[in-house]
Amino acid sequence: MPTPEDFIRGGATAAGFALAEKGYSDLGDIGEKALKQFSGATVDPVTGMRSGGLADVLEERLQFQPYTVTTATGSDFGMMQQPGQTLPDGTVAPGEMDYQLTLSPDEQAFYENRLAGAGGMFDAAQVGTADREKEVFDRMMNAINPQRERERLALEGRLQSQGRLGVETSMFGGTPEGLSLAKAQEEAYSENMLTAMTFAGQEQQRQAQLGSGMLAAGYMPQQQLIGALQPGMTGAEQRRQATSQQTGAYGETYAAGLQALLSSALGQAGIAGGFGTSMASAALGGLFE
Amino acid sequence: MAQELTSINLVAPAFKGINTEDSPLAQDPSFAEVADNAVIDQRGRIAARKGLSVITTNKTVLGSGKIRAIKEFKNNAGTTKVFSVGNNKIISGTTTLVDETPGSYTINADNWKMVNFNDNIYFFQRGFAPLIYNTVATGSSGGTGSTVKVLSTVNSASGLDDSTKFGNEILAAYGRLWTADFTDDKSTIYWTTLLSGHRWTGGTSGSIDISQVWPDGYDEIVALAAHNNHLIIFGRRSIVVYSGADNPASMALADTVAGVGCVDRDTVQATGTDVLFLSQTGLKSFGRTIQEKSMPISSLSGTITKDIIATLTTETESFRSVYHPEENFYLLTFVGRDVTFCFDVRGTLDNGSYRATRWPGTGFTSYVRQDNGTLLIGSVNGIGKYSGFQDNSGSYRFQYTSPELSFGDPAKLKFLKKIRPTIFGGENSNIFFRWAYDFNSSSASATITLTSNATSEYNVAKFNVGQFTSGQFLSRNNVNTTGSGGTLSINMESDINGKEMSLQEINVLALLGRTI
Repeated sequence: MPTPEDFIRGGATAAGFALAEKGYSDLGDIGEKALKQFSGATVDPVTGMRSGGLADVLEERLQFQPYTVTTATGSDFGMMQQPGQTLPDGTVAPGEMDYQLTLSPDEQAFYENRLAGAGGMFDAAQVGTADREKEVFDRMMNAINPQRERERLALEGRLQSQGRLGVETSMFGGTPEGLSLAKAQEEAYSENMLTAMTFAGQEQQRQAQLGSGMLAAGYMPQQQLIGALQPGMTGAEQRRQATSQQTGAYGETYAAGLQALLSSALGQAGIAGGFGTSMASAALGGLFE
Repeated sequence: MAQELTSINLVAPAFKGINTEDSPLAQDPSFAEVADNAVIDQRGRIAARKGLSVITTNKTVLGSGKIRAIKEFKNNAGTTKVFSVGNNKIISGTTTLVDETPGSYTINADNWKMVNFNDNIYFFQRGFAPLIYNTVATGSSGGTGSTVKVLSTVNSASGLDDSTKFGNEILAAYGRLWTADFTDDKSTIYWTTLLSGHRWTGGTSGSIDISQVWPDGYDEIVALAAHNNHLIIFGRRSIVVYSGADNPASMALADTVAGVGCVDRDTVQATGTDVLFLSQTGLKSFGRTIQEKSMPISSLSGTITKDIIATLTTETESFRSVYHPEENFYLLTFVGRDVTFCFDVRGTLDNGSYRATRWPGTGFTSYVRQDNGTLLIGSVNGIGKYSGFQDNSGSYRFQYTSPELSFGDPAKLKFLKKIRPTIFGGENSNIFFRWAYDFNSSSASATITLTSNATSEYNVAKFNVGQFTSGQFLSRNNVNTTGSGGTLSINMESDINGKEMSLQEINVLALLGRTI
């Protein structure tokens, strides 16, 4: 027959088992709490506000921060993220990054004008030179034609005064002076033609060069804007790094707190579990002696 | 009481030639109203001209035609050949005329002009292909043999295909041939390349159109002449002179003369120091005043201007002229009118005119002076020389008429008693004297036969030596005259038939009467 001692022993054993079980259960609660604190949603015990775990906080804090770089001439470079896209499985895919270079109106106009000019230059550089040669030649001839006409009239007057206007010779065609003048004028004519051809070719090269120059100049505002990105990106990166560090520090601190809390709870659970086990063990030991 | 006869001597009458321009009364007795078939001889007397001594013995090829032009060709070897044209033929020779017309070459006009140039003779006439003759087998002219050829057919000939460019005037000067006066172009002159009369294109050949040079706006080239490195271009009414013609490509206008031109190409004669030509107003010449840069023109026929103009305007055929330094005359013949004016070029009168005489009815149709000085004359009889005192064995009439003589006082009545002419030559010739009073209101005549009545030492042997075997016949016959009048003119005529004759002086014996 169970003795009171037996009963006491049995009670003690039961109490020990109960304590051990509580310690075991507390360990599970602690793990659950740790999970909730790190990654799951938690209720702020102070404010009662519900919030995500540390991971959510960190995720939120480490979210991309859009920024804009604005140059002194008014152009800007903006970097932002498109809204996330909810996938069929319910997850949300992060939005794509969006980079936007925007020139100021003046620079935009400058850019457009230069590009249009460059286009015109390239178009001109692609056209055959024959028409231009003729145009240049005509202008050159128009410039010297009055002088040519004066020389012709002077010779005509001279020949007339000498009564030689009607001279025709097999050797010279007309008079020797007439041949000399015609030869000089034809040389000037040929020289002008050659000059016009050379000029037209060189002009075409210049047009191509100008087109290139204008094209390069047209992209200059953009280059300048891109040039301005580096300092801007550096600033943003520094900011991001600072945020990252802050967030890291926050996470680590937060995790350390949780770790301490969990360690404490683990200790408590261990104690309860150990005590209960001892009690049960002691109780069970006297019972079976 | 009988009144004394007044003796008036007309010394060397007509020594100044014909003068039909001045008033008869105001004239110097040294002029003549008429001086036909006369020249001024070497002693300054009026004398009968020489005659035409025809040397042609066979003129079959000429037929009834006339020798229209004569030219003596002498090649570089000194061979001489006389060419002439007539009866639509090119003729050579002087005694027997030979037809030299190229085969299949048709001629219907005889207005050829011939020039010697670079060992060839060239024949040019408007509208006819030019011809050439040379005696050189080969050479720059490209000719062969010794026949007259069409110029365009000789080797290397060029520029001779256009029949409208067959000029009427041709000039050989400054190493080239020059031609002008075409059928349809009266203002252009063409010249050949140097020393090649057959190359009218290529080389240094050329042309000049002077249509814009004429001082009067328009004219037509009639003749060309070369003088003192000048090319003288005669228009009908103006003259254009180019200097530096030795290089025609650069020759320049030196002078122009408006209002005076040349009537005909064949009246132009170069005298060495001058160029004579017939203008519409008479015989003209260029003075040699190149240094003064001007070409003054003097009239050389000022004493017979009206006669020249009258003859000129009625001339229907052609003009011919010749300058003959040996005879000291320039002959100008109006062929259609059959009148020749003879200008003595030894000196000029006070008014700048040459002393002029007239040769009517000679039948002379062309002239050329040969290198030896012989003057050849063409006529219907062929070719003859200017020599002797017969025209083709016939006589011709020498005539002198004085101007109206007033003997210093036309108001006094003159009773002519005697005329006593001093005449050299003309032995046994009949002289017809005619004296007229008061501008032919009355006249009378007498005929004398020249016989010697003067003491002469000629033909007399002195000291038994026949030193003077011949002498000039001199006669001083008296002619008794009648009538009276205020003024008097004396006419003397004689047929020259083999004897020369000159009038030295006329001594007039007259009685001066009352005042009229």
